[in-house]
Amino acid sequence: MSAHVWSVGELVGAVNASLKAFGEVWVRGELSGVKVASSGHRYFQLKDAEGVLSCAMWASFADRLRFKLQDGLAVLARGKLEVYPQRGFLQLIISEVQPEGIGELQLAFEQLKAKLHAEGLFAPERKRRLPALPRRLGLVTSSSGAAVRDVLKVLSRWPHLQVLLYPVRVQGRGAEGEIARAVRYLGRSGLVDVVLVVRGGGSLEDLWSFNEEVVARAIAESPVPVISGVGHEVDFTIADFVADIRAATPTQAAELVVARLEEQARRVDQAADRAEHLFVHRLERARLRLRAAAGARGLARLPSRIQELSERLRRLEALPGRLRALVQLRHRRLDGALSRLYHWPVRFGAPRRREVVTVRLAVAAERLRALVQRRRLELAGSERALAALSPANVLQRGFSITTREGDPTPLRDVAQVRAGEHLLTRLASGELRSLVLTRQGVTQPSLFMNGDSAGGARGPDPEEGGRQA
Amino acid sequence: MSKETFEDALTQLEDVVTRLEDDSVGLEEALKLFERGVKLARRCRTQLTQVEARVEQLLAEAAEGEEPATRPFVAEEA
Repeated sequence: MSAHVWSVGELVGAVNASLKAFGEVWVRGELSGVKVASSGHRYFQLKDAEGVLSCAMWASFADRLRFKLQDGLAVLARGKLEVYPQRGFLQLIISEVQPEGIGELQLAFEQLKAKLHAEGLFAPERKRRLPALPRRLGLVTSSSGAAVRDVLKVLSRWPHLQVLLYPVRVQGRGAEGEIARAVRYLGRSGLVDVVLVVRGGGSLEDLWSFNEEVVARAIAESPVPVISGVGHEVDFTIADFVADIRAATPTQAAELVVARLEEQARRVDQAADRAEHLFVHRLERARLRLRAAAGARGLARLPSRIQELSERLRRLEALPGRLRALVQLRHRRLDGALSRLYHWPVRFGAPRRREVVTVRLAVAAERLRALVQRRRLELAGSERALAALSPANVLQRGFSITTREGDPTPLRDVAQVRAGEHLLTRLASGELRSLVLTRQGVTQPSLFMNGDSAGGARGPDPEEGGRQA
Repeated sequence: MSKETFEDALTQLEDVVTRLEDDSVGLEEALKLFERGVKLARRCRTQLTQVEARVEQLLAEAAEGEEPATRPFVAEEA
């Protein structure tokens, strides 16, 4: 008659067995109290207005989630019900969670974006400008896609640019690791001034690698500026937000680099042209002032003024060398510069005055030209004089040069040589090698002091004489 | 390092122009400025064109400060 008495374990086991009848269930609810245990397992509640359900998701499943489980997130969860025997409470052991009303990738994107934004990684003050002279470029992309072709095609417009391609996969599992590694390597290598991270268009899934945290961190930490160019204009990736410069496409990323170089070249040209123009203008004004002063009735009253202006003019006439330096720099000939002196005033002034100025300039230019010509002739004359003195020409005239063997210094004094030494004699047509038999000075005293056999001075040197014979 | 030099030289060149625009600058001073401008422009142009065009593909990473193994890269046709 007595009712069946269960043991606790028995009863819990029986309940668990009956829960199996539910099989796998899908539950809609909101996440609450999400905790990550040190084991990596996630514990949380699913709740709605009417109820709460304890949940566990083992690390092996949870780690596959692309997004992060966060309190308040509306989800659909799949799992099996069980009573945890040691605690005696009901829980749902979850194998899958999907965000509700939003794609999993979209959610992951939003979550990472919010996280990095909170860390300040997108802050405008973190953004670095494109270098003034981006001459060496690191390129992170696939070596076979359209992106690399597009980029190189644009870059070929600037003929002084080096590209180092770090080929990576740009989609699929593991691609994010390759991209991050490439960005890190190039940034730290010291080999490049700027890094381009690019990929052609594709679906959200295709572009996903550029929404991974490792890529974002690598870009954020890069010591050199990073330009991103991923997908089409409408695609924004996390890489775009964190990059120093976001280009809409790979082509545009390359355009930015080339445009910078072209802009810099233009700035240099403009400044150089302007400096030249201003200076020539100044020079001509000084010349006109001098002419005006010289022609004025006040000539006699202004001698010092004339003096000063004449002095200036004289210095200006020393200018051709300087003008030439400028012109060489610009790969133009002197004549080009002079002809511009002729034509320069056409750009301004009243017609009548223009003619006068043009004529005066023509005269000035003629003088400069004559001066250059004179300098050239002077130089040619100096060259001829130098040529006459060159050893080769002297030899041609029948003189020779004698040196001691192994010593290139020409001999000038017999005292430099001893009998028995070898000498080299250079004639116009070649060299003679000879042995010194005796030496004889041309000093007058020896003639008188040794007035004996063979005229004295021809006698052998006393200290060498014995061996010489 | 060369980047700073370029930027610096370009800024100085533009300063030269600004000063040449000032009519109160004397002729001798203008000449000095002009010569300086020529030198600066030359320095800028040298830097702009110093590097020979080259496209290379990295074959293996190298330690920092060392040249990695590379080979010339030519993109395949579409």
